[in-house]
Amino acid sequence: MNYVFHLLIYFEIYAIVALSLNLLIGYGGLLQVAHAAYYGIGAYTAALLWTKLGWGFFPGLAVGALAAGVLSLLVSLPAWRFKGDYFVMISIAVQTLIYAVLYNWTELTNGPFGISGISRPGIGGYTFVTTSSVVVLYGVLAVGLGLVMAFLKWSPFGRALQAMRDDDLAARSVGLPVDLLKLQAFALASAMVGIAGGLYAAYVSYIDPTSFSLNESILMLSMVIIGGTGNVRGPLTGAAVLILLPEALRFLYLPDAVAANVRLLAYGLLLVLMMHLRPQGLAGTYRYQ
Amino acid sequence: MQILINGLLQGVLLGALGVAFSLVYRTTKVFHIALGGIYAAAPFVLLTAMQSGAPLILSALFVILAAAGLGVLIEETVHWPFERKRSPAAVHLIGSLGAYLVLVQIVAVVWGNETRVLREGIDKTWSAFGVTLSQAQVLGPAMAATAVVILFGLLARAERGLELRALADNPVLVALLGRNVRALRRWVFGLSAALAAIAATAQAWDVGFDPHVGLKAVLHGMVSMIIGGAGSFVGPFVGGILLGVLRAEVVWFGSARWEEAVTFTLLGAFLFFRPQGIFARRARLEEGV
Repeated sequence: MNYVFHLLIYFEIYAIVALSLNLLIGYGGLLQVAHAAYYGIGAYTAALLWTKLGWGFFPGLAVGALAAGVLSLLVSLPAWRFKGDYFVMISIAVQTLIYAVLYNWTELTNGPFGISGISRPGIGGYTFVTTSSVVVLYGVLAVGLGLVMAFLKWSPFGRALQAMRDDDLAARSVGLPVDLLKLQAFALASAMVGIAGGLYAAYVSYIDPTSFSLNESILMLSMVIIGGTGNVRGPLTGAAVLILLPEALRFLYLPDAVAANVRLLAYGLLLVLMMHLRPQGLAGTYRYQ
Repeated sequence: MQILINGLLQGVLLGALGVAFSLVYRTTKVFHIALGGIYAAAPFVLLTAMQSGAPLILSALFVILAAAGLGVLIEETVHWPFERKRSPAAVHLIGSLGAYLVLVQIVAVVWGNETRVLREGIDKTWSAFGVTLSQAQVLGPAMAATAVVILFGLLARAERGLELRALADNPVLVALLGRNVRALRRWVFGLSAALAAIAATAQAWDVGFDPHVGLKAVLHGMVSMIIGGAGSFVGPFVGGILLGVLRAEVVWFGSARWEEAVTFTLLGAFLFFRPQGIFARRARLEEGV
């Protein structure tokens, strides 16, 4: 049973990641490839505040989200100027830079050895020790953030973002502050993925830079694109596929050495097939234009 | 002096990658990440060919042809169908990403994830003017440079080369003039893959290889292209050489840990301040490429 809880926790974390990335890709049409870096900033900021300064769970999580939100300026300011492939290049550059800082600033981040001994989440005097209690806590947070995303789709902000995605020039001409919208979307999405990073750190109690590399960003991107973008159920489907695919592949009885490779292989195949047959993803509504 | 020469030789390989990447990018606007998969596969194919007892020259020829075939296969299965559906650039990018994942994971499943070497024992070295170079360090770049020069010769003189340049400048007009765009695109993908395979085996011969070197290589090719300028075929080669020298200097005067950070900061700086690259004529980003 504990194993199911473990999967559920991962699903909840990845659901937040997928929903936040969907805000950029699905609502805003911004192909962000640096998302794992912001996931990492949230995780590292929170973990350092918890372990080094002894902060409480929620303050640490909040400051981690804030740090990720503020640093999102690194990609959102270039997004004013660059579109399409050039924006992808910029976000790859930002991803590489943040990863290099996490990996090389050994005095602060302990470099490749990572941060260990992160304690489980707690509120007041109560600590969420059992896996089932973490499922509940993360579930509440994930549902809360999911509702925000669902609300955003129909809110004036979400509609403005989708207008910008569909036609940048037309959105400008009716007076939408497109540049400001981009800043807000990136800040919001990065803060949200920062929260997911903090949750991840608190659950596994150990983080190192390899969880926040370019490959991880690509995995996040694949998850959202396979699941579908432009609504709430698409990213959730993507997160579910990400969690369930390894379980499904278990039935093939692959040797351990190749299991991870076969999983990524299936991911690559799914990406190509999706682009051929269903560009909006399994459960999405938005097609790239 | 030693550092400069090392950087130059490494730069030739980066330049070859830059040419391979820009050959596809300039003519078809495809962000060819799958090139990284071909780059990763080439040394493994060479290793197997050599182990089967074939002479080196024959094995190398086989690798180049196989890589070209793989490049054409990617065009046929991924990019040409997208092009026919007039899919947006993002779809090409994601499809290419999927193809990259598939290729790399197939390589990892077939040959394993470990780092391999192509040659054994200590390499022959030459010393002159206080510079010491190993045989592998010189031969690889020499081969890559020869391949690039042959390619430039083809582009400048041959009918096919002229057609390829025309494709880069105005694909619609090329089709209107009755040239076979589909065949030309096959040539582009094949030539680019062959060049990447040469760079990959040269690099692998010198320092060894594993299945996951491809993504970094293709990103370096992309940076070379931006530095040199996406508006010409010679630019990326020179850009790659400059990048190689700079990276060698960073390792020598600074630290190897910041090599990637410097590379991608350079990419950002060029995109912001000189998006047309060192070489190209002055033009706006959108019309320059």
